[in-house]
This record gives sequence, structure tokens and C-alpha cells, in this order.
Amino acid sequence: MEVKKQFKWFTIFEYEKEQDYLQEMHKSDWKFVKVTGLGMYYFEKCLPKDVVYQLDYNKDGLAPKDEYLKMFDDCGWEYIQDYFGYSYFRKVVSDNGIAEEIFCDDESRLQMMQRLLKGRMLPLLIIFFLVLLPQFLISLFDTHNYFIAAFAGGVLTMYIMISAIFFVKYSQYKSSGK
Amino acid sequence: MNQHIKKVYVPMTETAFLILLCLRKPNHGYGIVQMVEKMTDGAIRLTPGTMYGSLSKMEKDNIIRFIREEDKRKIYQITDLGLEVLQFERKRIERLYKIVQEEM
Repeated sequence: MEVKKQFKWFTIFEYEKEQDYLQEMHKSDWKFVKVTGLGMYYFEKCLPKDVVYQLDYNKDGLAPKDEYLKMFDDCGWEYIQDYFGYSYFRKVVSDNGIAEEIFCDDESRLQMMQRLLKGRMLPLLIIFFLVLLPQFLISLFDTHNYFIAAFAGGVLTMYIMISAIFFVKYSQYKSSGK
Repeated sequence: MNQHIKKVYVPMTETAFLILLCLRKPNHGYGIVQMVEKMTDGAIRLTPGTMYGSLSKMEKDNIIRFIREEDKRKIYQITDLGLEVLQFERKRIERLYKIVQEEM
């Protein structure tokens, strides 16, 4: 069977982009098989089909896996794999063209973001304040190693940007909720 | 009913309301999905991500409780506190309904 590998990098908060990417691939006759390493996506040739891909971030779901997956299975979602705390699911878009999602209200979308924040953002925040920020300041003002300063500064900026985008999205959901 | 419960469940989401309503009898997540679909003539289809998250949260808040597992499905039932919250919400909706009938 014909297979295809594609390297693609999504930040931890870009799960919606990633879902769209997988759906587009399936539409153009490449069915998602797995993702490994730092973002190597494997596909196999298939008939083009409109299939919704959804990512859930739920540590709860990772431990008592059986009943978590059973619920998705009962509702017609095919489980594909876990990757960096995310569980991957897909479901064929029904004939009436209604694309289902795994969340049906903003409250639960918000709760997934909160789980993501706790599970991912807080550990990153610790690295940010304990390692990157001091390294940046030391290289800039003390050792004058501008190469390292630029590198640490770059990573910091990226981190702040990603967080900012995430927080904007988060607060949008929050204000549109109850 | 403490402050936390009041804050989260008064008023509550449509999803939470329907789950509590269904769990007056023991049931599992997918059973609730099917019940709600039937009750609302297919208008509301609860989804597994929302369902799973809601059930875990409601169990933690002690408004429903885990009873047993059957064929990998967790069966829950409403608690006394849950019933109290549901009654509270019912009164709130009835009040709104009365107002809208008088006004429109």
C-alpha cells in the first residue's frame, strides 16, 4: 500500500489546526495512520472522504482508558492513538453533511482548555521562569553572550506569543459561555 | 448546597441539566446520550467529549455518584445533593417560563 510521510509541527495549543490538517489530508485521499516523534505524520492512500478528526486532552481518559474509549466507541468515534497527552479520534461526516464534534457546548470546550493549561502551560511556565528568563538576563547583561541571549530571547518571545494567542481564545470562549 | 455548587450549577448548562434529569435512574454515558436524543426528538445530541468531562466533574462535585461498571461502561446515579440542585434549577426555569408567558 502506498504510504506518505509528512513532517508537520503544531504547538500544543494548535489542536484545531491539526484537526483541520488531518481532515484535509483525508479529503485529498490520504488517510491518517499515526504520528510519531516530533511531528512525523504517516498516511496511507485511500478513497477521498470527508472525515472529521478530533483531539481530546484528558489525562483522566489516559488512566482508566477502557471506559473512556468505550464512550467514544459507543458514539461512533474511531480511536486512533495517543500523542503528547492528546487522544486522536475520527468519524465520517454523515450523508446529511453534519460534521459532528466531540464537544457540544462551550463549557466543555473551555474545560478542555483548562486541562490543557494545567497539564501543559504550568510546567512550561516553570521552565520559563527558572531557566529561560534567568539565562536570557545573564547572557545579556553579565556574560554578554549575545548568541545565547538571542536564542533564549527568541524562545521566550515565541512562548509569550503562543500563550497570548491561547489566552485570547480562552477568554473568547469564556465570555461566550455562561 | 455550598457556594461552589451554587456557582457552577445555578444556572447550569443544558448538558448538565439533561444529564441530571436522566440520572434519576442509574445509567451510563451512552445511555444518557440515547435518552436525550429520544426526549428531544433528535434536537440535542450530546457528544462523548462533553459527556465524559461532565460526568467526571459532576462525580467530583458529588451531585452524581458512581454505582458500578458494566461491560466497560460506568453507571452513575444522581445523589440527594444532585436532586436538590435539579429541583432548584427546575424552579428557576419555571419562573422564567411564567414570566415569558405573561410578557409575550
